[in-house]
Amino acid sequence: MPEIEVKLQVNGRTVTWRVLPGETLLEALHAHHLRGAKLICGTGDCCGCGVILNGRSINSCCMLAAQADDADLLTIEGLAQDGKLHPIQEAFAEEGAAQCGYCTPGFIMRAYAFLQEHPHPTEEEVRAALAGNICRCTGYVKPVAAVLRAAEAMRS
Amino acid sequence: MLKIAAYYSPTTLAETVTLLAEAGRTVIAGGTDLLVNPRYMVGVREVVDIRKLGLDYIRAENQALSIGAGATMRTVAMHPKIQALAGGILARGAAVCGSPNIRNMATVAGNVSSALPSADTPPSLLALDAQAVLVSIQGERVVPLNSFFLGPGKSVRERELIRELRVPLANFDTLRGGFYKISRTAEDISLVNAATTLIIEDGIITAARLVMGAVAPIPLRAVQAEEALTGQPPTEETFRRAAGIVCEEVRPISDHRASADYRRRMSGVAAVRALRQAAGLAPHGEEWHHA
Repeated sequence: MPEIEVKLQVNGRTVTWRVLPGETLLEALHAHHLRGAKLICGTGDCCGCGVILNGRSINSCCMLAAQADDADLLTIEGLAQDGKLHPIQEAFAEEGAAQCGYCTPGFIMRAYAFLQEHPHPTEEEVRAALAGNICRCTGYVKPVAAVLRAAEAMRS
Repeated sequence: MLKIAAYYSPTTLAETVTLLAEAGRTVIAGGTDLLVNPRYMVGVREVVDIRKLGLDYIRAENQALSIGAGATMRTVAMHPKIQALAGGILARGAAVCGSPNIRNMATVAGNVSSALPSADTPPSLLALDAQAVLVSIQGERVVPLNSFFLGPGKSVRERELIRELRVPLANFDTLRGGFYKISRTAEDISLVNAATTLIIEDGIITAARLVMGAVAPIPLRAVQAEEALTGQPPTEETFRRAAGIVCEEVRPISDHRASADYRRRMSGVAAVRALRQAAGLAPHGEEWHHA
């Protein structure tokens, strides 16, 4: 099976990966020790594998790694800066917005993309923005509160 | 790991159609259908990525809107001209397809290519009399979407790429529209959806399109209901009569989402609600705010 060389930015670093044609972006992330994005449904229905590709939140389970050539990728591992959590991560911790925590990276990355575009969201907008993120523990109230809290923190 | 033996990323259309001429290859763009639904990988060993062809454009020219094969659901949902066309029915269909993460990757041309009866954008495209521009090594052909779909996952597309979708703008100023989707959750595929366009002159409907999704093997033009609407005043009574005909015209199946009987009844509900929007009897949704 021929390997494909892809060159991309991952969390601010330029990397060159050798990937297989059938390898998903999520599989490539895991192979390169970036295990924050989770495989949950594997069919694009839950957003647990969410990452930011060229500024937009996407599901890394239904994209080929080969398609990420030239991309600028941000994963949950790249959010904290100099050992300091991102305000969205802070807010999720403060609100206790995780139960088992498996879906949390997907929620946070989706919230990150959303807040870039909507710095002053209403609760309704936050709910719509997170509508694709599925939590099997069914804890939706606190993530919504966390995103509203993060929005406030990011504005000040 | 998917069973894909080779990945190609051509940068010209000529290269692309040459690659596609060989059996066992298929097109990948957003990948959100192809990579998760085994039905599209039957007989496929190699994929041809079209995302480096510069087809992510949306432009209005020559009385038509051209939506390139790379244009995502999100870009279509957010496009001001598409929001302004016939009550924004195409923007609204794109805005309710899947989740935000899906809409950032999935393309409208891909939604058409997948040819699923439950798809969110084909009813609006059909109601707008859209065409698909197909390219292969043999050249280019323009196919009205009305004759594009053949069955679930089946279309007239063969070893071809949808280069763009064309939506006529000739009636931009007079075309009214409505769209209504019924689904279990915000993210789920449609149980039933309905898209309509009407031209109303001097209080009479002079042209009507009414298209139902998820209630037949293909996105279904309810032609008998369209005939019943034409020549009538755009009133509740007219719409209810048309909806009754719609319920007779649809050919739904039962599955884990809904029974055929439920889908049949909901077809009438979705049709009436879409028609009311087109006639100004009910407000339009502006789902694109959450796209």
